[in-house]
Amino acid sequence: MSQDPLRYFRVEARELVDQISAGVLDLDQQPGTELVARLLRFAHTLKGAARVVRQQDIADRAHQFEEVLVPHRTDEGPLPADEMRELLRLNDEIEAYVARLEPAAAAAQVAAAEAAAATAVAASDPPELGPESKPEPKPEPPPAPKPAQNPAPKPVAKKEEPAARATTTDVDDLLDAVGEAHARFAPLRTGSTALDRLHRSAESLAYQLRVGRTPGQAEAARSAAVRLAGELGMLGRRLTDTVEQVERELDEVRGRAERLRLVAASSIFTALHRAVRDAADAQGKRIRFEGRGGDLRMDPQVLALANGALLHVVRNAVVHGIEDDEGRAAAGKPAEGHVVVEIQRRGRYAAFLCTDDGRGFDLAAVRRTAEARGLLMPGGTEPDQQTLVDLVLRGGISTSPTVTEVAGRGIGLDVARDVADQLGGDVGVRTEAGGGTTIELVLPLALLSLHGLVVEAAGTVATVPLDSVRTCVRLLPEQATAAAVTGKMAHDGEAVPFLPLARALYAGTTVPEGGGPGVAVIVEADGESVAVGVDRLAGTSTLVLRPLPALAPAAAVIGGVSMDLDGNPRLVLDAQGLVAETARLGHGGAAPLEAARRLPILVVDDSLTTRMLERSILESAGYEVDLAASGEEGLEKARARQYGLYLTDIDMPGIDGFTFVAETRADPELAGVPAILVSSRASAEDRARGAAAGASAYVVKGEFNQEELLAHIRRLVPS
Amino acid sequence: MSPTEVTDRLAELRADFDRSFAEPARRHDAEHAELLAVHAGGRPYALRLAQAAGVHSDRPVTPLPGPQPALLGVAGFSGAIVPVYDLAALLGHPVPERPRWLVLAAGSPPLALAFHELDGHVRVSAAVIVGEPDGHDGRDVLRGMVPLPGGTRPIVDLPAARAVVHRLTGHTQDAFEER
Repeated sequence: MSQDPLRYFRVEARELVDQISAGVLDLDQQPGTELVARLLRFAHTLKGAARVVRQQDIADRAHQFEEVLVPHRTDEGPLPADEMRELLRLNDEIEAYVARLEPAAAAAQVAAAEAAAATAVAASDPPELGPESKPEPKPEPPPAPKPAQNPAPKPVAKKEEPAARATTTDVDDLLDAVGEAHARFAPLRTGSTALDRLHRSAESLAYQLRVGRTPGQAEAARSAAVRLAGELGMLGRRLTDTVEQVERELDEVRGRAERLRLVAASSIFTALHRAVRDAADAQGKRIRFEGRGGDLRMDPQVLALANGALLHVVRNAVVHGIEDDEGRAAAGKPAEGHVVVEIQRRGRYAAFLCTDDGRGFDLAAVRRTAEARGLLMPGGTEPDQQTLVDLVLRGGISTSPTVTEVAGRGIGLDVARDVADQLGGDVGVRTEAGGGTTIELVLPLALLSLHGLVVEAAGTVATVPLDSVRTCVRLLPEQATAAAVTGKMAHDGEAVPFLPLARALYAGTTVPEGGGPGVAVIVEADGESVAVGVDRLAGTSTLVLRPLPALAPAAAVIGGVSMDLDGNPRLVLDAQGLVAETARLGHGGAAPLEAARRLPILVVDDSLTTRMLERSILESAGYEVDLAASGEEGLEKARARQYGLYLTDIDMPGIDGFTFVAETRADPELAGVPAILVSSRASAEDRARGAAAGASAYVVKGEFNQEELLAHIRRLVPS
Repeated sequence: MSPTEVTDRLAELRADFDRSFAEPARRHDAEHAELLAVHAGGRPYALRLAQAAGVHSDRPVTPLPGPQPALLGVAGFSGAIVPVYDLAALLGHPVPERPRWLVLAAGSPPLALAFHELDGHVRVSAAVIVGEPDGHDGRDVLRGMVPLPGGTRPIVDLPAARAVVHRLTGHTQDAFEER
């Protein structure tokens, strides 16, 4: 492998091709001499490098590329359309040649059928989370066999999988972090010298103690011992500090290294831009492409899938969304259409938005087709826009050629929907007749690199994504108390809701004693701010956010977990969740009134699952719960303690639920405690029997609704 | 001993040696069960080692606020993040003390159950295990009993415990179906 003469050329050529591809598209959009000069430089470098490694095909095309550009060196105006096309053609050819240098591409060519099969498998693989289970990157689709008369290979389909290629700055950052961690070891090295010295002192002290008999010698030994203890203490403290620092640095190294396997979202912009450009050219339209939010780094797998779907979506926006010249003129729009792809992080999701300023969906046509196919009642109530959009997205009519033609969005939306379904995401559409359309593809992120602010609250360490932190404010003890009591604090001339983090982290359980909030972290999400009270700040770190495992449901404040240096999970908070939790608690996070001391609830059910489920529902609503596994045990517990409510199953071995209710009604001590029957029996007869026995409410398990149950309970158990 | 006798004897020994490998291992796994004797929430139980993927002690568990009281939190196991459930809480008798021991349940998705004390590892004849589950509290998870020194212990069936966790977290559709 070390003999491979193309090893370095491949890397350089790939980078130059990327830069040329992006540059040509930029030139198309914003002509200028500076860009021409830059492209000439890239092409020239590529030509020189290609000659060195005897890649004459590439060198020739780079040369032709230069030839086209040279006359425009001093020319500020746009290039003629045919020259632009020639540049793009040469660009594609160079790209195809460079792609063929990849060992993987050569293999793919040999086994085209196998590669296609593998692609299908990779595409249908469930998106397992975690790096270990990741399927191999899809092989690139092999270039089509080239026609004899055309010496150039057909352009390879734009690569579907943005490779996790490290940028120089990323590697530099990582090296800096490694260097910093290394430097932190220096005190440990001097520490071992100090240790040697102390060791000698201890030995000499031992000698003094062995030989020393006179009071003077004893005194000297004593003071030597005191000195030794002092020095040992100092060395110990220094070691502790050093270890802490080294750990922090290594944490940073780990975060940066993990970041290397993630890809900047902007890496898909060139391909999308090119798709827009080609579609616009074929349609004779003028369209400007814009990519926003490309800094976000994410899993290459997710990005590749999003890219595949977005290619269809942007093409549709050009072909069906943006009007032709006359159409735009008639609508009073600028002649140049506009397509924007924007990428945003939303908690543990990434949103890909494709917005065009075209004509919008033809919802009337969707409606006509839906009515023709019996999906909507003709002449029925006017369906709202969302209903119609849902019909296109989910109603199965998107695949119909009729609607595909009139609505014009079928295929792209199908692909987007498939990707979303595959990854557990979502597709949304906002459209306005004459005003354009936004297609929104939201995908969960398996891995996501973040900069985080590490905070501590009541002994728990958590990380807040730094991009949602507006500022941090130190709190004096009396300010902290006031904020906790009122649930608000003044910041920047406005009242911001205050949420002590400890309360959110220990929801439903007792908060361990701690120092109380010393800092308020002002977190912003969706235009709303909350002040999150934490005990102290513990620095910032680069981390990779992982989703929670399948069997670990968590409160909304938790956005995911990251791994600390010891491989232990650390909580990562979610800004949206913090805002929502504060709103849910109402009046900020003010302490609940202690007066709300309610009587406990007795759950009687022979099924463990039901007992546990009901208990978790009731406990999260703040009730204390006792459990009984049979009617007999229920009666025994009911007589032993005062309850606010009985929640009982009907079908149990021994005493059944009807009997349990009737027996408690017959007992004057217990008759005042309301009882709710929860059963899978749904017949009117059983309901009547329940009412006759004296039950206050009847909830059917099949239609079980947590809110309904809690509503009954709130009604029956006044706080 | 004549040279022939020696040769014969040698052949005999060699045949014996080879036969000892060719024969199936007698009375091994099929007739014995490897069990862990544990305490969860102050009560004695047994676990089948064959249903476990590992046993760990004093592993840091990061508490996770959420709707499941039995969910103690998440722990890291060689790069994977594993939810940890309190076995005593699943069995219906939670205690305030945090359990020290974790047993990784075989199967997926990853799941660990926490118990308070490990009393020992025993190998018992399968014949002494009482197959029929008892009828009291927690019968969803308990399958069979085993007489051990110090008393008979109910056996916690890890696949059944996993099924309970799946139902609690809505991992399957039959979360609230009557059995």
